[in-house]
Amino acid sequence: MADHLFNSISLGGRGGTKPGQMRINSGGILWKKQGGGKAVEVDKSNISVLFWMKVQRSTQLGVRSKDGLYYKFIGFRDTDVATLTTFFRSSFGITPEERQVSVSGHNWGEVDFNGNMLTFLDGSKQAFELSLTDVSQTQMQGKTDAILEFHLDDAAVANEKDTLMEISFHIPNSNTQFVGDENRP
Amino acid sequence: GDNRSSGRSSTELVAYKSVNDLPPPRGEMMIQVDQKNEAILLPIYGSMVPFHIATVKTITSQSDTNRNCYIRIIFNVPGTPFSPHDANSLKNQGAIYVKEVSFRSKDPRHVNEVVAQIKTLRRQVAARESERAERAT
Repeated sequence: MADHLFNSISLGGRGGTKPGQMRINSGGILWKKQGGGKAVEVDKSNISVLFWMKVQRSTQLGVRSKDGLYYKFIGFRDTDVATLTTFFRSSFGITPEERQVSVSGHNWGEVDFNGNMLTFLDGSKQAFELSLTDVSQTQMQGKTDAILEFHLDDAAVANEKDTLMEISFHIPNSNTQFVGDENRP
Repeated sequence: GDNRSSGRSSTELVAYKSVNDLPPPRGEMMIQVDQKNEAILLPIYGSMVPFHIATVKTITSQSDTNRNCYIRIIFNVPGTPFSPHDANSLKNQGAIYVKEVSFRSKDPRHVNEVVAQIKTLRRQVAARESERAERAT
């Protein structure tokens, strides 16, 4: 049975990235935090979407589960991508999608919701994403601005010096995507 | 590069062409200022996300009674007075804008450094663009 082991794969999320080890085999995927503690396990039958995205110096694997959770694993090399793409097809019956990251530096784009994730897109490229499960409060300011505030508690855990606490989006009246929905930006 | 030479109304505002052009990652994720490419990089959910300096309107820092430091960055959005994005906002009808972000930092010295660097870079770019605009008239 093919068993793929990767010794330095980080889990990305609120608070930065956590280094760890990843095992991928016909049962599914398993990531364990270096030094113990947090683990992420997604059974093969529970995986809905996989995608690759080239990031700085490596490739990121995005995993969306059927129960709406989403994980991003960072640190794959080009050779890993080729091997795993073949493996995911044959063993999981899933062909990973390819996504591109936007590095244009624009602060305008589109917002897309999928499960618990908010993605900010620049054209078809992804600028950044946020998990709404970490949002402690949302507020509307006037008719055009939506503010998301994040939980304070787990902000100090990972390898981040600066941690995002609040982000607001400006939705001009010309935007037709979210008309009449004041609970979400 | 010089492809930004059309100035502040440029709709071709681009900080980086490819993900490989981003500055190398550091051990600890933090706000970075890239003078050369005139961009700031913000740690958002485990990724370093670039914003062109021309999208930045103001930056402020503040500390609370528990000695926590905060950095607040306000971006240019359409509909505010003196916004340099009017050409963009016309072109990007229907777009949504990141308006403001707030970070808590563990390191007050880094906060002061970042705020100073961003202010300087903004000033430099603004001065160059207004000079260019004057020369064009």
